[in-house]
Amino acid sequence: MNIEIVHAVIDDLGALLLFTMIIIVGASQISRAIYAVAFQSLFIAIAGAVLAMATGNVDLWVIAGITLTVKAIALPWLLLWAIRRMDVKREVEPVIPDLATLTLAVMFVVMSFHLSASLGSVRQAISGNALPVGIALTLNGVLVMATRKTALSQMVGLFASENGIFFTAMAVTKGMPLIIEIGVILDVILAALVMTIMVLRVRSTVDADIADLDRLRG
Amino acid sequence: MAETLLWVIPLVPVVTALLMLATSNRKLLSTIDVGSSAILAALTLLLAHEVEASGPRSLGMFRVDDLGIIFLLLLVVLTLAVSIYTVAWLKQAVEVGNMKAESLRFYFALVHAFVATIVVTILADNLGILWIAMEGTTITSAVLIGYHGHHHGLEAAWKYIIVTTIGISFGLFGTVIIYAAAAQVMGEASSMSWLAMMQVAPKLDPGIVRIGFIFVMVGYGTKAGLAPMHLWLPDAHSQAPTPISALLSGILIKCALLAIIRFQMIAAAACGVDFPQQILIVFGLASMVVAMPFILAQHDLKRLLGYSSVEHVGIIALGLGFGGAVGTYGALLHVVNHGITKALAFMAAGTAIARFDSRNLQAIKGLLAVAPIGATLLMIAFLSLAGVPPFSIFVSELMILRAGIGQGDWVSVAIFLTMAVIIFAGLLHHAGAMVFGEPPKTASHEPEARSPLIAMLLLATLMILLGLTIPVMFDGFLQRATEVVLG
Repeated sequence: MNIEIVHAVIDDLGALLLFTMIIIVGASQISRAIYAVAFQSLFIAIAGAVLAMATGNVDLWVIAGITLTVKAIALPWLLLWAIRRMDVKREVEPVIPDLATLTLAVMFVVMSFHLSASLGSVRQAISGNALPVGIALTLNGVLVMATRKTALSQMVGLFASENGIFFTAMAVTKGMPLIIEIGVILDVILAALVMTIMVLRVRSTVDADIADLDRLRG
Repeated sequence: MAETLLWVIPLVPVVTALLMLATSNRKLLSTIDVGSSAILAALTLLLAHEVEASGPRSLGMFRVDDLGIIFLLLLVVLTLAVSIYTVAWLKQAVEVGNMKAESLRFYFALVHAFVATIVVTILADNLGILWIAMEGTTITSAVLIGYHGHHHGLEAAWKYIIVTTIGISFGLFGTVIIYAAAAQVMGEASSMSWLAMMQVAPKLDPGIVRIGFIFVMVGYGTKAGLAPMHLWLPDAHSQAPTPISALLSGILIKCALLAIIRFQMIAAAACGVDFPQQILIVFGLASMVVAMPFILAQHDLKRLLGYSSVEHVGIIALGLGFGGAVGTYGALLHVVNHGITKALAFMAAGTAIARFDSRNLQAIKGLLAVAPIGATLLMIAFLSLAGVPPFSIFVSELMILRAGIGQGDWVSVAIFLTMAVIIFAGLLHHAGAMVFGEPPKTASHEPEARSPLIAMLLLATLMILLGLTIPVMFDGFLQRATEVVLG
């Protein structure tokens, strides 16, 4: 496949990733944010497949497959299951107004592109606009985590943030070694399981959201 | 021989963890715990001997050099002390109902899984493996922090896992960016090996490495507890069961610093030594300044120790930031000194808290009258943390101060000294109030349990020894590690 076509496809997928990120930041319902993060992971899996075709790197096919099954299907399913299990009535509960969060999100995107525009030579090492998109997703994921008071929303922010890293890592020339990618995914799964257990445990003992507890101060 | 040890050492805690699942007898579990820690310590001494004799060794994705040996030695000393401490601590915790007798095996299995992930972070040569193991430490220790099942513990565990996971995902991003820079230079032979990256480091693009290093610094800095990313630390370190607090403050945050040192070396080779050093100085000073008011106005004994860890991590970062032979040597020595002292302080605090059934500094009074040995150990741990001679922390702080003066960085030296003096006064005030005075009637007058005393005396001996003299073999490791860091 032509290198310019690959760059164009990666850039298009990058735009879709940013679009899903804005949906996550602005989502008023937790389930909508979860679907958005699932689609985001799906786009990253597609990006992996495209890069695999272009570079002939078999490892990238495996990574794309794992991303699809774990991040686009299994983890969103886990979150949706936890919602049903907990019978969530409260939704996203932002700490600051939605409009302010969205403004910040847009600022992060602009800043990321500005930052990586100043890095001329990095263009050769990372395909297309994967670096600014990756930075933007990571920062916006943190934004979601910082501005939400419910545990599951914070987890969605975490997954979105990690998606940004995966996207950039895929686009690095040659990609990351397969064993490392698998190890990272394994960590993500374990962390998600431990977090879900904690959330359910607190919910069953004190009937509160774990992220909303604030007894520890000073 | 050394190559064999490189895969046997991480395997010991893994096998132990699995072994623990086979029994639920408390005495047997404690025996395996102490035995495994002793084996780990013996193997590490053997490895240290090999490295001293014939230099750094590599095996696949693992590598050990003099820098790694220092952290590994600290780890095994602490795990051994913690294992011994745990014997009587656990008995008491089961009696008062803080730990459930039937789930003890999972506790021990998790502790050893936690130790295994720490060992891998120290021995990892591949920067990807380093990250995976570091996230592994977060997952295992998060479960341990919330192990009591109180909602305070779970709140602390949640804050810990969410903040440090997001924090070190920045670390992964930084790693990916620096790897991208390296892959560009290495071409076909690109790998994530730290050693391979160091060889091409002078040729890396400084602009990319700079951004990568900032991400790494924020990422692993979160895990190290550097301000302003330290918010999880006082909660997690104070809510965890005491043996876990000792490991978290003693070794885990130092391992994050080890990761930062590895990247600092790449960044120094790619964009000059000044850039990483300035960043380290800023984070170091911020940590000291932020910790100070919370130490002075603290009501909770274990939180006090948590904030003190923030301060000392700041001092280590400052030592690395001042750099040069003296500063780097001082910082590495401070890693060990603070690790040993803080573990001792957490253990002494744990026994005091159990005796008074309160962690409030106002409630703990007259410890000397009810537990003379424990009170003395608590007092000398606090004296050492405050930086009083002849204890070990005084020596390393003095070296870091000298490095700062040598650099002519007067503003940083002034801030460092001011904070150190204020915190000194605060810590002595708190320690005096706990140790002296009339004990309340509710305080337990039971005789002091033997196993915690043995563990604490072991650490106290090392602490005083390192204050008076640095053993020749250990000095050799510090010297060579300093050379490694300075390149």
